[in-house]
Amino acid sequence: MNRDRKKFEDAGVRLVLIGQGTPRLAADFRRRFKIALPVITDDSRISYKNAGMKKATVGELFGPTVVAKGIVRGVRSGLVQGKTQGHPAQLGGVLVVKPDGTIPYQHLAKDASDTPPNEEVLAAAREAASG
Amino acid sequence: MFGLGAARAREETHPHERADALADLVLKDHEGLDVRVGDLWQDRPAVLVFLRHYG
Repeated sequence: MNRDRKKFEDAGVRLVLIGQGTPRLAADFRRRFKIALPVITDDSRISYKNAGMKKATVGELFGPTVVAKGIVRGVRSGLVQGKTQGHPAQLGGVLVVKPDGTIPYQHLAKDASDTPPNEEVLAAAREAASG
Repeated sequence: MFGLGAARAREETHPHERADALADLVLKDHEGLDVRVGDLWQDRPAVLVFLRHYG
């Protein structure tokens, strides 16, 4: 997502990362991965809960399909997962929120490998920005 | 195995139509500054990417 940040900026939306942990962990994460986006951090994970996200079972973290998809994604992106910080079973997701507070698009992960394609999120962002 | 804090039974996600439950939360950014989450979409749409973890 960080690599496509210019496309999101051009679409007229604000792209923000939210992670779990302390501000120091967030700052380390930005530095290590050369992330130019703002990172908001939520040690309590209340925002994850309020957004409707879930914790994974062991199978949703380490099942064969999940691991295989993670490997493929790592090869494609050139990124390798480092040491896990925060709650290991907390799953993430993506929300597009309009100024009126409505959520026209959301993808709440069903397992650890479940992330939406950037193009899908970008299309939703463009639509939200257009009206 | 459950030391990971993994859910013992499969959980469901709970999608919402509105972000009201997020709007008034105040979180810290990477510089330690307070951010009211609702301010992120006050003037234009926001794409919130919730990371599974840092790294």
